[in-house]
Amino acid sequence: MLQVEHLTLKFGGLVANNDVSMTVEQGKITGLIGPNGAGKTTFFNSISGVYRPTSGTVTFLGKRIDGLQPYQINQLGMSRTYQVINLFRKMSVVENVMVGMHPHMKQGFFASAFKTRAERREERECYERAYELLDFVNLKDRAFEEAGSLSYGQQRHLEIVRGLASDPKLILLDEPAAGMNSKEKEELNALLYRIIDRGVSILIIEHDMKLMMGVADYLYVLNYGKLLAQGTAAEVQANPQVVKAYLGGDE
Amino acid sequence: MLFQIIVSGLVIGSIYGLIALGYSLIYKSSGLMSFVQGDMLTFGAFLGYTFYGVMGIPFILSFAMVILLMFALGFAIEKGVIHRLVAKNVLPIYTVLATIAISYIIQNGSMVLFGSDIKYFPPVTSIKGIRVLSLNVQTEAALCIAASVVFMILFNFFMNRTPLGTAMRAATMDPMAARACGIDVGLTTGLSWAIASGIAGFAGMLIGPVYGVYTTLGSVIGTKGFSSAVVGGYGNMLGAIVGGVLLGLTETFLSAYVSSAHKDIIAYFILLLFLFVKPTGIFNERAIAD
Repeated sequence: MLQVEHLTLKFGGLVANNDVSMTVEQGKITGLIGPNGAGKTTFFNSISGVYRPTSGTVTFLGKRIDGLQPYQINQLGMSRTYQVINLFRKMSVVENVMVGMHPHMKQGFFASAFKTRAERREERECYERAYELLDFVNLKDRAFEEAGSLSYGQQRHLEIVRGLASDPKLILLDEPAAGMNSKEKEELNALLYRIIDRGVSILIIEHDMKLMMGVADYLYVLNYGKLLAQGTAAEVQANPQVVKAYLGGDE
Repeated sequence: MLFQIIVSGLVIGSIYGLIALGYSLIYKSSGLMSFVQGDMLTFGAFLGYTFYGVMGIPFILSFAMVILLMFALGFAIEKGVIHRLVAKNVLPIYTVLATIAISYIIQNGSMVLFGSDIKYFPPVTSIKGIRVLSLNVQTEAALCIAASVVFMILFNFFMNRTPLGTAMRAATMDPMAARACGIDVGLTTGLSWAIASGIAGFAGMLIGPVYGVYTTLGSVIGTKGFSSAVVGGYGNMLGAIVGGVLLGLTETFLSAYVSSAHKDIIAYFILLLFLFVKPTGIFNERAIAD
């Protein structure tokens, strides 16, 4: 569903992503790993529209999306979360999910003041859907609290569910397990499979190797901005170059 | 006497509050102080005078036309000037300077277009005054207070209960996350300026019939609206209204009971003192955006 071909991103003389190609398949969990500074988050930013790739193409559901704005890419069915939690902290939990639904709420400027019956029904359905999504991550009873008051792991879950609210076909998760305790990691692990069950494919960056080797159907390894290796978890683990990149040293 | 003072205090206070609301909207969406707000009020009042006083278009219709035109003007200023400057990554202070330039262009432009003498609106209704609790209130003053209250309720509903308002709040809290949620932040920022400008036109249409319209009408109100926004907590919507009403009442009470010649001296000494006591404003807006 997502094809990236020969993607290169330069910041002046610095090559952040160098000729990276990858494919994300429908219904699969695709992992992106690599040492710190390998260019993983930059790669996410390049495909989600934050940066415009210097060269190469990004094709999503048969459409070229490189060069589009982030909000346009989101509206085409790709949502994402951030490495640093990016919730609307002062809004309530349910409002955060409602913002995530934004692309589906086509309302005129004045329409909201003079609501038709159809619009009122749409609004009610939105609330119901938001609750259903909150239920999905066990946050339903926290719906009216400020998002900033949730625990760290809950905020991560809320961010994921906000990403799911726009009914995406693909969700990019940038280190969702960062800062989670082991119980929260287990919950995340289960959540990833339940996301797949909803028909949403996943592209995930994660440093937690135990988690990644367990869930990822296919892995790509980035090092110094370049693709170092790819394959199943077993293949990647057995790759001497990958081991070297992670452990350092010179043979 | 006391009742009349409260009414005049509320009239000017609600105008300060409306202008302050515009400052807060612009600050939240662009992180900028805009000097245009006061002159937008003047321009809106002149437009209203032209439609209603000169062309004889019914008041309600003139009112609606002013708001729509000002809305469009605000959007055009953001898209035509502010957005382009911000995109060049200049220091924010240069963009603020641009708003000063626009402010003078509008002020001077109003003088060229409409003349430098004071214009008086024809009476808005044939009713001279209405009786509230057996006391007489000028119809225009009552209209001003009532319309401000209705507007603030509707605005609050819009910002908190509608998808577009929620999207606008989201975009001001965290533009990057908002983009990732499919929100066109460029559009919501433009809308913030448009609404701020529309509110200024709205305020101009309310205050014009009470005070008369002249080219510097808005510049004083603009400064005081800014003060109100700061007192309330800069960027806080409710704070803007409360700050405006407080400032309006303080001024009116001072001029009635102390001295109208010294009201600004005393009012602004109080404001300075207030800044030292409560530098975050009434509603505790923190310096760093959350």
